[in-house]
Parts: sequence; structure tokens; C-alpha cells
Amino acid sequence: MNRREALRQGGRLATAAALWAGLPARTWAALAAVPGWSDAEEQLLTLLGDTILPATPGSPGAGSVGIGRFVLMMTAECHGPDVAVAVRQLVRDVEADCQAAHGRGFSALNPAEREAILVARERKAAEQAKGGRFDPFRHVKGLVLLGYFTSEPGATQALRYDPVPGTYRGSVTLGENERSWAL
Amino acid sequence: MASHPTTPGARAHTFDAIVVGSGISGGWAAKELCDRGLRTLVLERGRDVQHLRDYPTALKQPWELPHRGRLTHALAEANPIADRCYAFDEATEHFFVKDHEHPYEQEKRFDWIRGYQVGGKSLIWARQVQRWSRFDFEGPARDGFAEWPLTYDELAPWYSHVERFVGISGNRDGLETLPDGEFLPPWEMNDVERHLQSRIHAAFPDRRVIQGRCAHLTAPQPVHLEQGRGRCQARNLCYRGCPFGGYFSSNSATLPWAAKTGRLTVRPHAVVESVLHDDATGRASGVRVVDAETKATTDYFARVIFVNAACLNTNLILLNSKSRRFPAGLGNDHGLLGRYVAFHNYRGSLHASIDGFATSYYSGRRPTQVMMPNFRNVRRQEMDFQRGYMVFFGASRGGWTQGNGQAGVGAAFKDRITRPGPWGVFMMMQGETVPRHENHVRLSTERKDAWGVPLLVTAIDYHENDEKLLRDFLQQGEAMLDAAGAKRITKSDSRQAPGLDIHEMGGVRMGRDPKASLLNRWNQLHACPNVFVTDGACMASTGTQNPSLTFMALTARAAHHAAEELKRGNL
Repeated sequence: MNRREALRQGGRLATAAALWAGLPARTWAALAAVPGWSDAEEQLLTLLGDTILPATPGSPGAGSVGIGRFVLMMTAECHGPDVAVAVRQLVRDVEADCQAAHGRGFSALNPAEREAILVARERKAAEQAKGGRFDPFRHVKGLVLLGYFTSEPGATQALRYDPVPGTYRGSVTLGENERSWAL
Repeated sequence: MASHPTTPGARAHTFDAIVVGSGISGGWAAKELCDRGLRTLVLERGRDVQHLRDYPTALKQPWELPHRGRLTHALAEANPIADRCYAFDEATEHFFVKDHEHPYEQEKRFDWIRGYQVGGKSLIWARQVQRWSRFDFEGPARDGFAEWPLTYDELAPWYSHVERFVGISGNRDGLETLPDGEFLPPWEMNDVERHLQSRIHAAFPDRRVIQGRCAHLTAPQPVHLEQGRGRCQARNLCYRGCPFGGYFSSNSATLPWAAKTGRLTVRPHAVVESVLHDDATGRASGVRVVDAETKATTDYFARVIFVNAACLNTNLILLNSKSRRFPAGLGNDHGLLGRYVAFHNYRGSLHASIDGFATSYYSGRRPTQVMMPNFRNVRRQEMDFQRGYMVFFGASRGGWTQGNGQAGVGAAFKDRITRPGPWGVFMMMQGETVPRHENHVRLSTERKDAWGVPLLVTAIDYHENDEKLLRDFLQQGEAMLDAAGAKRITKSDSRQAPGLDIHEMGGVRMGRDPKASLLNRWNQLHACPNVFVTDGACMASTGTQNPSLTFMALTARAAHHAAEELKRGNL
């Protein structure tokens, strides 16, 4: 590893560290760690979620709401035990994809590399799920979307949220950069 | 007049009127009887639920629900029946009966959705309220399967009476098939719904797309403010109980109103085991209650008894009200009690998308949908099936959930799914089913519940007529969506079991002929006239409308009649 690469690598780790330091942010501050899962697995899911829904102008990424813990909690509490097994296998598969392609783990990749890994994994998972089999990527992605868009930053910054609309207007012109309603 | 016990203890248990059940019709019975000066006891088998105080999730933000509204695996697995109900979720589950607490026997599968608490299902109803038309009252006799003992014109003033108090938003559409009522301002349609309205009307002149009529205060009147209710805030979180009193429920409206008269007693945790019949006087003398918690038995007495336990439980109580005079259940000389149960056929739905309208959007969350009154077999029999269906519509743009099943990750993906997606149209049916002798409920001969009451057996199923009607809806739905320019139309049959419509009706049907029905034109048991049944059990047919408004109007009318008859000394 040359000096430049090492710096870049360090920079990435610093970004990841900043993400962890901010955890668990606001929404899941009270969530207990989910038994049976290592910190590394949870962190990979958080980073995976943050890759699916990264910070963009005006709103933070899914990592900022500790999405990994949410995914694990929901998997444990709202799904049967088979689903947790499939999620663990997905975590392993993503890490294996990274090692095969880059010789490094998911957290050591840059954002573009992480995206490429997930795009390929999503396609592969969908292919494997053909014929109605369970698709763990779709499951995790669904929980990432649910967890983020129903979180306070997701609902109020990435989307628009009005807890008490007052009335319904049936004809409103959509502005250039206007987002969907959260509910 | 029925004889009344005169010991001091019995006097404390004696009222002018008893109402069994505190749901939408029981609440109305209580209000009207109290307003007419009667000391009224309302018996509710579930716990107390006070307006505002007992709505624990009403003000929760999405992020304050631990599972974001989803059910835990344990709760869903433990409640396969309740879980099939669209409104049963993390924020509302405390208002639904849990499967294991109240078992019943399904000879044929029936998804029985129940709400055992003060207010009953009026807390968790869909709040759609349309009047029946004369065609709905006259059609069953024309078609030869039932005979309503009253006309639309007789019920119309009572519709008005309850509508003014409930507060109903709606447009005055001037349709004979769906008469106008006492309306507050209607909700708006969105751009695509207006498009559907004009295109469908152009292609099918007899089919009218109109705004849904719902029990929401769009412009509260003095009578609503007097109830302590305010304007609907378009949150559409109604099933949690409304902190604004924006929609009508027993809890927000009729029960507190009745309480203000000083004549109301509500007793929660009171499982009514049976109505007591005094063979000497030929009248009911009261009801027997088992305390839900202590299992202690208490009798309560009154001159008038309204049974409003919700359709199937009203059947259950009457079937279990056995006396020497009525060994097969109260008023059941002909074995028809529990028979002719019907429901609404909800199986068909369609989805489609509408291209264009890219800059059209909306704001707020409307608590109702667009709809189309029945257009089949209205004035004469013209199809290869009996009766018809109402259609519900809705058009909306995709929200963030469009990301589910959509490939992609990263900033571009996030940007795409946080912008309003394409317009989708949803269409569903509410089909009339014909009450049939074989569709019935009865008492289990073997099993009893925790309070010693026999379990109910459900034997209710679809009929070939329902299949034909479903096929017609799917064909016509497709034709209408096609005429409106919709694309990618998909039709589906949920094959859901009866019951999930939560519109079960009948079993104690009204009729002119005492040999063919249980109740007279005032909802009194033919054979025991101080017992009134005014919930869904009294229905001789189902119409295509959401039924609660008709239950309310029938209840107010019957309560008025009961009070008059008491005054005249006839009860």
C-alpha cells in the first residue's frame, strides 16, 4: 500500500468512525443491541443501509439513524427465525463479494465501490430468489427504507411530513424539487 | 308491563332500559333513550375506553412506534384472524379482540373481527356512511328473498336525525340510487380522480363517480361543538382514536352525550349471558350478566331491552336466551334465529396506473375515498346474478414505498424514490350478498367460553351468485379503467373468507311476516315486544352501502318508538 492509498484508506475509516461515533443517533438511542449479532455484523448493515440511502443535500443518510440495529431488531421481532439466518448469510455474502473484488472488507471500500458491490449483490439475490424464494437483500433493503423514511430525519428532511395537515387539498402543483409526503 | 323484582338489591339493579353493547348502534340506543328520559344501563363486555384518555397511540409520530406500525412476529402468529384485518397494526391492536381470548367454531371459515371495549368497533370503523335508497329496501321483495317492513321514506327522517348529530361530509349528488343526506362540505377529489370521474361518466352515463360520504367533521356545527368535537384534521390516523373528535364514535359522541343527561350508567366488563324471559308476562324482564373479571353472575332488570351486541353476538345472546316459552332461543318459534346471515363481497379489486399528471399532487390525508353507487339490477333484474355492487376508488402517487422491489442503491436511487412516483389507481368492490337459509350461526353443543357461554359456530359461505357478481365487477372495473385511459390494469380476487368485510348482517331479520322473520317494523321481537334488536343482526338484506348509518337510523327510530310505547303503557 503506498502512502497515498494509505491516506485515502485512513480517510475512509475516519468517515466510518464518524458514522459510528454518531450512533445511535436520536431515533434508536434506546434500542438495545440485538442478541446473537456481533458489532461487526451490525456495523456492516448500518453501512450497507447508508450505501442504499446515503446522505444527500438536505438530508442525512440511513447510517445516521443506526439503521443496522433497526434492521436486526425488526428481523428478530417481526420475522421468523429463518429470516435472521438468511440475513446473516447476506452479510457474509457481501463481505465475500468485497474480498473477491477488492481484497478488502465492505467498510474499507469507497462509496462507489460499495454501491457497485450492492448493485451486483441485489441482482444476484433477485436471481436466486426467482420462483418465489426468500430474497434477503430485498428484505434488508425494505427495512432500510422503512426504518429511514419513518425516522424523524428521514420523514422530515428526505421527505415532507405534516403531522396535522388540517385539510386535504386535491389539486396542488408539484414544485420542481418537492419531495413526497412521508405519510 | 313486565313484572319487576321489588327487593332493595333488585331495585339497585333495575333501570328503565338496558342496552347490550356500546358500539355504534348501542351508543345510539343509549343516547336516544336517555334523551327521552329513560334511566339507561349500557352493558359492555370489554374494558372501558374513555374518549381522549384511552387513545395511547393517537399522537404518536411514526418514529415513536417501536416497529413503525408493523406487528411483531409473536403478535401476528398468535392472531391469524385479526391479522387479516387491514386496520390491525401496532398502533391499533389494543382495540381488536385477540384470537385466543374469544374462540369460536368455524364450520366454514369466517374471519370474525371484533372490538370488545366501550365504543366497540365504532373506534375502528371505516366511517363510510351512505344512505340506502328505495331500491335497496324494495329490491329484496322484488327478487323474492326478503321483505323489508319499512320503506325508505319512513327511514329518511331518521337518517336526517342521525346525520345531523354524527356530522357527515358529502356532496349533494342528486342521485336516486344514493340519496343525499344532511351534509357537511365534501372532501375534494384529486386531479386524477376528477379525470376518472369525467371519463367514466362520458363512457358510461349511468355510472356516477362521486366523493365518498364519511362521518368526519369538515365544518363542525354547534351540535358537534357541544359534543366537544372539532374539525377533522386530515391526519387519517383514525383507527387509533381521534384526539380532535374529528370522526364519529360512541366514545366521542353518543355516550358522553347520554352521560350528560345524568340518566346513563355504563358497566364495562359485563358479559351478557342471556336475556331473561318472564313466561308469566310474556316479556323479557332483564338480562343475566357474567362479570368478565370475577365471573360473578348478576341480573339486571328493565322494561325495555335493546340488544346491540354486534351482529353475531346479538345472535349468540338470543340463541342462548332459553326459557320454557322459548326453548330454542328468544323469539325463535320457527327456528329462523341465526339464519339468513349475509355480508359484503369484498373479493375483487383492480390496480392500474395513469400516465401523465406529472405536476399534479395533493396535500393532507383524506379519510375517505371516491365511490360509485351500484348500477346493476337497480330498476329491474337484468344480469345473470342478483343484486349489485358499489365501487370504491382512489388515485394517488407513489411514495417512498415505490422503492420496495425497485433495483438500485445510492444517491440517485434515494432521489428517485423520495419524489412522488407515477399515479396509481385502486378500485375495489362492495358487493351485496343474498341472505340464505343455509348461511347461519348456532350455538356449539360442546364448547363454552371462559364465562360459561356456548361458543358460536359459523356456517356462512359464498354462493355462485357471489362468484358471478365478482366476475362482473372485475370485467366492468377493467372496462371503466380502460375507458379512463388507465394502463397496466391488473385484476385480483383476494378469495378472502366472509367476515373480513366486517359487514356481517342478519340472523335476527326484520320482516312483515312473523313466520318468516324475527323482528317487526320497529325492530321489536315479534314474540317478545320489549326486546329490540337494531344492530346488524336486524338486517333483512345487506344493500351495497356501508351499513352503520342504517343501523344508527334504525336504532334512533326504534328507541323513539320504545319510549313512546312505554309512555303509552304498551311495554
